[in-house]
Amino acid sequence: MDPELGQEVPVDGIHKALRQLWAQDEARTNACLINLAVYSEEKGSLQKNSAIVRDLTREHACRALLIEMDRGAKDASIRAWITAHCHLSGGKKSVCCEQISFALTGVSRGRLRNTVFAHLTSDLPLILWWQGELSPIFEERLYAVIDRFVFDSSDWSKPHVSFAIIEQALSSGRVLVVQDLAWTRTYHYRLAVASLFDDPLAQRALPHIESVEIEHHPKHRNSALQLLAWLAVQAGWRTGLELHLAVAKKHGNREGFSFERKTGEAVAATLLSNESSAPLGRLCIRGGGMEIVIDRAPQSSHIHMRLSVGDHVTESLAPAGCDDCGMLIGEQLARGGKNSLFLKILPMFRNLLDG
Amino acid sequence: MSNPFREDLVSRTRPEACTVVIFGATGDLTHRKLVPALYNLALDGELPPGVKIIGFARREKSDEVFRQGLEELNRKVSRNGHDDQVWASFAPNIHYHQSEFTDDDGYKRLAETLDAIDRDRGGKGNRLFYIASAPEFFDDILSHLKKAGLNQAKEGCWSRVIVEKPFGTDLKTAQHLNRVVSQTFHERDTYRIDHYLGKETAQNLMVLRFANAIFEPLWNSRYIEQVQITCSENLGMEGGRGGYYDKSGALRDMVQNHLLQLLSLVAMEPPTDLSADGVRDEKVKVIRSLRKWDTPEKVAANVVRAQYIKGSVSGKVVPGYREEDRVDPESMTESYVALRLMIDTWRWSGVPFYIRVGKQLPKKATEISVHFKSPPGVLFNTTSMNATGGNVLAIRIQPDEGISLRMVSKIPGTSLRLEPVKMDFQYSTSFGKASPEAYERLLLDAIAGDATLFARRDEVEEAWKFIDCIEHAWHQEGSTVPMAEYVAGTWGPKEADDLLHEDGNSWRRL
Repeated sequence: MDPELGQEVPVDGIHKALRQLWAQDEARTNACLINLAVYSEEKGSLQKNSAIVRDLTREHACRALLIEMDRGAKDASIRAWITAHCHLSGGKKSVCCEQISFALTGVSRGRLRNTVFAHLTSDLPLILWWQGELSPIFEERLYAVIDRFVFDSSDWSKPHVSFAIIEQALSSGRVLVVQDLAWTRTYHYRLAVASLFDDPLAQRALPHIESVEIEHHPKHRNSALQLLAWLAVQAGWRTGLELHLAVAKKHGNREGFSFERKTGEAVAATLLSNESSAPLGRLCIRGGGMEIVIDRAPQSSHIHMRLSVGDHVTESLAPAGCDDCGMLIGEQLARGGKNSLFLKILPMFRNLLDG
Repeated sequence: MSNPFREDLVSRTRPEACTVVIFGATGDLTHRKLVPALYNLALDGELPPGVKIIGFARREKSDEVFRQGLEELNRKVSRNGHDDQVWASFAPNIHYHQSEFTDDDGYKRLAETLDAIDRDRGGKGNRLFYIASAPEFFDDILSHLKKAGLNQAKEGCWSRVIVEKPFGTDLKTAQHLNRVVSQTFHERDTYRIDHYLGKETAQNLMVLRFANAIFEPLWNSRYIEQVQITCSENLGMEGGRGGYYDKSGALRDMVQNHLLQLLSLVAMEPPTDLSADGVRDEKVKVIRSLRKWDTPEKVAANVVRAQYIKGSVSGKVVPGYREEDRVDPESMTESYVALRLMIDTWRWSGVPFYIRVGKQLPKKATEISVHFKSPPGVLFNTTSMNATGGNVLAIRIQPDEGISLRMVSKIPGTSLRLEPVKMDFQYSTSFGKASPEAYERLLLDAIAGDATLFARRDEVEEAWKFIDCIEHAWHQEGSTVPMAEYVAGTWGPKEADDLLHEDGNSWRRL
């Protein structure tokens, strides 16, 4: 018995063992709205992910399948554990979600699909949260069975290569919703920008924006680039010729990009990497006599929004969302949707990413 | 000019910066519901920047004292708890405006304050007037708003009004109030609030019916035997409630608004679209199609009114209705009403809709149950089928919001015995996150200009037309419609049970 993963069971006896688990206590309710598979190639990930899933199941009832893969091992093997995460609902009823953990070693084609995914709850969507770098395991026959593919591109050492694989999966003709947690991190900044531009004075200044500055933590450059790509796509800016010089404009912790407004004028964008910044720190948009500053102190649960146009100044607070991956997944699950906006900005983001 | 950054970001109508003016700002509703709702919207980042709140009331108070009182209660009742940092940013947007509701000068000063706020906000002059005062001031407030020109929106802006219940006490007063409102605000800017429609399960009714292909084909008189709507409360006239209630009664207080709204959501035809008028057009047709109980005989045959007598609720001895504080000892006001309603449409011909609502019943619960016809008893033992009954789809509005479906199943064993089993969906179990309070959703909708969950003028008037017939039969001189009694803590009078027994039905046990 593993204190976190529960009871070890033979792989061909998982179903029976789960039934026995429920038979032990009739006062519990088994709740399940989705299949959530969490894949990692990091050693010790099962215990870490089990703790994340325990928190996640407070708000998102699911059957969790945790997978730890050691592709470097010589021999192919598979071990499984079952447990349930139970929470008191409204202080009275104990609501539980099942978890099956798999430790796989060695390379054996199709095991994930054939063995692990044989334990899905039928008719419910499958969400696969891929942790770390994309590996050859992520191939067409795998993503053909997934409804939603979640990853965090901030973990990727070569994002341009991995995003090319993602685009290939998206163009396969399958209905696959992809969700980058780096994009989820930008959500509250996007909401803040949108709400500040509800102000007619800010809207009037929109065609005259001259500069954008985004401060970010070094690990979260992709979030900053995605936020910039979103601003550019929604505002209708084109990437100018100068974009090709963007890499050359990199000086220390500063990166420069330039865009062209519909009317032909330039918009200068700067990304500032700062070790002491929140994942996304300060966003500043200037032009047409307007200044927007959206600022978040590290660890702060709120972002501060400020709009000034001449004498007109509005300031307010908004939630910053969460930084933790588990909570970001929870936020994403609560929101659902097809994530079409991400697909819309993806080409521009890749353009910026490739420099 | 549109805001391109809004595109694809959220799937709801966009709320705009505005000033919310609450009339009756020192009352319980403002402190317990309205300001905590606005605070929670701010906490969730749903409230647009620049929203200001002005409390309008008669008592002398400073901004600071007003804010302190609101903060004190917000700490106790806020759904998401109280965050000092967020409150510190939220509170400066709250102001107090002292004035009598009939004082011209008070409204003039209000207009000046609003103009100053608009100037600070950059000219955006959206205004939402929330009339949460006692009903006798509705007329005065509306006419003074008009006199001060506050009903007129500036160019490119809007001016809306939310009116709390009771929206009139009968058809005549409702028509009068509607006239006063329509002389002051356009119908499109008038939001008659019914907080039941802001509840998650009430909103889910349309989704359940029209997003699931399995229910709608069965949703008619061919397959449905009866529908029951129950709203029970385990409270009486505590806290001086008797003064208001004794002038109103269960029929006017609950049935005219909340329960007829729920009924119309259950019985309406699919709307052509999800626009406010698309949905409300269909809802009003249901109310209009209700068979009128327009003679004392019809009322006596289809409606049961009752008062509770001394009994015990939740283990506590409670007095009878006529012994309650601020209740007339000879009161003829009903604390309980049960009705059999018939909807004369093709879809619902011959299907009884039973409604019951009452005080001092065993527990607090609001539920809609749809009872399907039993299958022909040709295959299984007829007796056992009769014992188990047909399928029941129960939609729980409160508490434990959720939906359950009762089905018949074979008991394991060698003999063929059938028993009902229940498939249960609970919001709290499936979605751990708490739903927003009804007032949060409704306030945000009004700020965003979405009137779908608010009652329209014709809905209110049609509902009163139906209710007035019953009230008239009850209260006309020499009325022969009896007032039944029930012991507090029971599920109502025997006469209400008999009402269903006549049709071979019985109330669902809750």
